[in-house]
Amino acid sequence: MSGGLSLSRTVWPTRIIMWSFALVTVVPFGLLILTSLKSRPDLMQGAFVLPEYPHFENYASAWVDGHFSVYFLNSVLIVFPVVIVSIFLGTLSGFAFAFLSLPFKRFLFALLAFGMMVPVEAFIIPLYYEMRYTGLINTYAALILPQIALSIPFATIFMASAMEQLPKDILEAAVLDGATRAYVLRRVIVPLMLPAMSTLGVFLFIWTWNEFLIPLILVNDDSYRTLPIGMLFFQGRYTVNTPVLTAGAVIVIAPLVVIYMVFQRKFISGLTAGATK
Amino acid sequence: MKLSPLDARPSKNLVYVLPALLIYFALVMGPIIAAVGISLTQWNGIAWPDWVGFGNYIKLFSDDIFYVSLKNNAIFLIFYCAIPISSGIVLASIVWRFRQKEQLALRTLLFLPYIMPTAVLGIIWHWLYNPAFGPFNQALKLAGLGKYALPWLGDFTFVLPAVGMVASWYFFGFCMVLFLSGMQRIEPSLFEAAKVDGAKGPRTFFFITLPLLLPEIRIALLLTIIQSIKSFDLIFTMTRGGPSNATLVPNLYMYQLGFQLNRYGYGAAVAIVGAVLVFIVNYAVHRLVRPVGGKGTS
Repeated sequence: MSGGLSLSRTVWPTRIIMWSFALVTVVPFGLLILTSLKSRPDLMQGAFVLPEYPHFENYASAWVDGHFSVYFLNSVLIVFPVVIVSIFLGTLSGFAFAFLSLPFKRFLFALLAFGMMVPVEAFIIPLYYEMRYTGLINTYAALILPQIALSIPFATIFMASAMEQLPKDILEAAVLDGATRAYVLRRVIVPLMLPAMSTLGVFLFIWTWNEFLIPLILVNDDSYRTLPIGMLFFQGRYTVNTPVLTAGAVIVIAPLVVIYMVFQRKFISGLTAGATK
Repeated sequence: MKLSPLDARPSKNLVYVLPALLIYFALVMGPIIAAVGISLTQWNGIAWPDWVGFGNYIKLFSDDIFYVSLKNNAIFLIFYCAIPISSGIVLASIVWRFRQKEQLALRTLLFLPYIMPTAVLGIIWHWLYNPAFGPFNQALKLAGLGKYALPWLGDFTFVLPAVGMVASWYFFGFCMVLFLSGMQRIEPSLFEAAKVDGAKGPRTFFFITLPLLLPEIRIALLLTIIQSIKSFDLIFTMTRGGPSNATLVPNLYMYQLGFQLNRYGYGAAVAIVGAVLVFIVNYAVHRLVRPVGGKGTS
């Protein structure tokens, strides 16, 4: 920021400290990519030795033999419904909490905030039996519906606080023009909320993509496993084949890195909002 | 009274919240209430549960394994909380003086682990720590420290710090970015004034930076403590709580009791105690760490 000007003469020792911390952060990922391009004989040469040529076939065998194609597709099939439905429901309920009077409004809001704090681990046992009794175990619904339910408190509170920032006269003008509520929401509020909705979408994407406990407990059929869980069971099966294991890890985290790079600003700006989750 | 020009009768407004609330009550609130109920029973998951009242909770207080898991969780606080927050503050106050571009590059890199699935990071670090061919021990050997190349995740003494350091590695960049955004809120003139008054680096840090960062410190404390109580993915994928419960935490104990030993009632009681701990910590941090100037007393 502006104050940096007078202090911009960076001292070398502090730069070295900072960049060595950056190195510590990045080296595991570098090693991961390096190892994913090695053959198994290459691996014997040592962890820090370059392979003679890159072995992209590790990715092919993770994708096909390691079922990462299945896991990847499952992750995609779960993430998109969760993100879209959660944003949709969160926008509706956020709208209500921001502008409308509701019975027991404060109590309902407190219940949402309460649920945001309770760890999933606390109620995974009843959730598992609920899914079993409704016959949803080992279906996509078992992965999508609880994830939406878990996203609703954050989506609602996030959207409500974003909508409260809207200038009231915009809404008044729209109502005076004779527009219905649904119309105002769709044609006036939602277009103005698009930046907030996309920030919310990025957060929900990451949380859903990374979710571990729900797919671990609510699904035990390999054809429904998502990437993090698939990776775990792959590790169990192929623990000796490190290059293919690391190739699989790269497949899991690559989409996250791409999203991170594209939406960098949203991460930093939404950081404090997401931090309370 | 109308809350906004868009307001109508409450019964007409309900339409907007009902879909979200129905899903939320069916799949979050309902199971939370059910978990409390199950924790008051003895249940193997098949037969009708037997009501035991607070029996599970009473048993819990004389369960050595539960105490071990609590003790481990307390030690993990050093790695989830103390190390990332303290190093995050120091790094933020260093990187704050850097040029914008360099700052952005460092911020981008250090934040990277935080967006990753902790389960996958656990699997990656499990490989990095491998005693035979893991890069970590190979690096130690290359550096001439071969005698320190221990089987980290199999060693009863070192497994907890080894797992804990991964948590520190995961959180410190996040903390730094959080504190950096807090520092940009601080008036630069304050630092100038301190400089004019002849305050040296450490004094400026302790009397200006630290107090003004209290809101961010509060967020970081809440988040990291709660994450440590919730910790499951990372430890599950790295050690499964072993060797011999050296890294067992309450949530892993709940998993073992419920999904491996079919003691669902007792497992639910462990889970409820964990959730109550989260609430206590939340309340304590909100009460104890207050921003200066009396703002944000909520």
